Amino acid sequence: MQTKRVKWAAVAMVAGLALSACGEDDPVASDTTEAPGGTTGDATGETTGEPSGEAGTSEGEISITGSSTVAPISALVADEFNAAGSPATISVDDPGTGDGFALFCEGGADISDASRPIKQEEADACEAAGVEFVEIEVAFDGLTVMTNPANDAVECLTTADLYALVGPESEGFANWSDGQEIATALGSATELPDVPLDITAPGTESGTYDAFIELALGDGAEARIESGDITEDDAGTRSDYSSQADDNAIISGIEGSDTSFGWVGFAFAEGAGDAIKEIAVDGGDGCIEPSIETIADGSYPLSRSLYIYVNAANAEENSALAEYVDFYVQSSSLTDLVSQAGYVPLPDDRATAATERWTARTPGSDLLG
Amino acid sequence: MALTTIAVGGRTAADRVREELTAGGGDAAGKAFQAALITCLGIALAIIVFLLYDVWGDASEVLPSRLSGLLSGQYTASAGTAGIFNALRGTFSIGAFTVLSFPIGIAAAVYLEEYAPPTRFTRLINVNIRNLAGVPSVVYGIFGLSILVERFGSFTGGATPIAAGITIAILVLPIVIITSAEAIRAVPRTLREGAFGLGATRWEVIRTQVLPYATPGVLTGTVLALARALGEAAPLLLVGAIGERLSDRVGFFDPEGLRKPFTALPIAITDWAKRPLNSGFFQNSAAAIVVLLAIVLVANSAAIVLRNRFEKKRG
Repeated sequence: MQTKRVKWAAVAMVAGLALSACGEDDPVASDTTEAPGGTTGDATGETTGEPSGEAGTSEGEISITGSSTVAPISALVADEFNAAGSPATISVDDPGTGDGFALFCEGGADISDASRPIKQEEADACEAAGVEFVEIEVAFDGLTVMTNPANDAVECLTTADLYALVGPESEGFANWSDGQEIATALGSATELPDVPLDITAPGTESGTYDAFIELALGDGAEARIESGDITEDDAGTRSDYSSQADDNAIISGIEGSDTSFGWVGFAFAEGAGDAIKEIAVDGGDGCIEPSIETIADGSYPLSRSLYIYVNAANAEENSALAEYVDFYVQSSSLTDLVSQAGYVPLPDDRATAATERWTARTPGSDLLG
Repeated sequence: MALTTIAVGGRTAADRVREELTAGGGDAAGKAFQAALITCLGIALAIIVFLLYDVWGDASEVLPSRLSGLLSGQYTASAGTAGIFNALRGTFSIGAFTVLSFPIGIAAAVYLEEYAPPTRFTRLINVNIRNLAGVPSVVYGIFGLSILVERFGSFTGGATPIAAGITIAILVLPIVIITSAEAIRAVPRTLREGAFGLGATRWEVIRTQVLPYATPGVLTGTVLALARALGEAAPLLLVGAIGERLSDRVGFFDPEGLRKPFTALPIAITDWAKRPLNSGFFQNSAAAIVVLLAIVLVANSAAIVLRNRFEKKRG
């Protein structure tokens, strides 16, 4: 399937090259003049679990930017919000969590989608620009570690193994077994196979990358810093792997080698089906397969929260924005739409907490390190 | 054939001369070259046919059954109802801006070819324009972002079709100038000299002889430039085209859309192609490509018709 995308890109280029003059002659253009937008109303027919909440009636523009992981949820909520009758113009863009915060803290967006909590320097930027925000947790996501289905030698990896394979000390490791020494030193009993290690994974621009460093490599890095093998500055990943911004490209990298290794967001790995093999992860309490249940109850070690950050002053002025977030935090959105987008809904208490946090417009972040 | 064709024993003189020159052995190298050329052409065509076939395989799940839904649907998150209405509108506005830039480019070409004195300075400008035509499109995107979106944000409205349209217009301007200049240079000197000899002024010569003769070439060049413009995704991403979801209630030709967030066909195609493979967006992406190809075909035919008409006029 992956090669198809490449071919399409080529077709698009051929199309682009051949594209030509005079939009006025374009029959497609005249066909569509009779449909002046607002057709999202049809969306209700397709979606299951339609939220029952009030959508609101305010006109207005809502601009959402940030994480490409969270964007599908925000987009789906926007679809349902429009479908339920809101006339608001809603744009969702997905440049990544970091870029999203940069724009958001300049006042350039109403909502920032984030696949990690805001960082101190980002919060400082917000404060400097006078942007007050409300931080709302909206869903859980897991990071799925995966390999090729043909790779029988690997079923489960400890976080120590993960550190040994992609931590900063693994620079140059060409075989899985090259990581054995570090893994063993960190207390792992896994026997890593002596086969080529072909890594395809997200790059530094991605929130999924940041989350992996924190969730998967954090313990290993801490232990190695303590033992003096690496310094604080080294923490991160090895730099010599194939980094891809596009999740489908990661999946195809995994398909492309029998002994591949990589990670993507849980929703995407589930979507890839049999093309990849999910590896169970042992965070100290035995091997846990990623699943909706294990992520929701917190037993799967590589799970993270997804957030939206709402510009509080804009929500005050723009009632469409306030109505949209109202719609977002109602329980039916936080359960049905989150599941529909492929993510794991928050447990009830956290969903309630999210709703209350918004209702009270609690300012600032609780999660700054 | 310029050679006289006197038939001798069923063969022309030309045949006999050729036979004697090649010693009856035939032109093996020439034949081989011809075969190589045909093979190359065949490979190029085969690739295109294969791509079309492949895209159609996926697109056929959406087209024609959901054609009107695709064309009138908003750029939303539900694969079954998502469409390219706003993307088409964005691409259309960008195309309109690009077309508006053509007269500027053609005028610049006329100046460079007909008026500019052949000085070092003129040559410098020519070299620079050629260089600009080779600058990667992302660089124009950065220009659009820093100048049009940020510096002149109050005029363009920020990340809007105005900013994107001007960016793309600037991107194609060097190409328009170069191809138009080539077409003008190809006008036979005798035409100009004849007109001058009859006492026409420089402007009259340009208006009545040079421009009419050069029009088909200029048209071909500008159409190719527009082609490049509408297929560009990279500069649009930088200028701030929305790459995930956009819903609004702006009509297709409503100028209000020029000051709103926008997206475009190449953006929607790449975005949808990046979604999970079984989400249904893959088929939407293929269908959007087919729509793009259809627009291309219609517009290209229009350009060919126009060109033929001007060529006929030229006589």
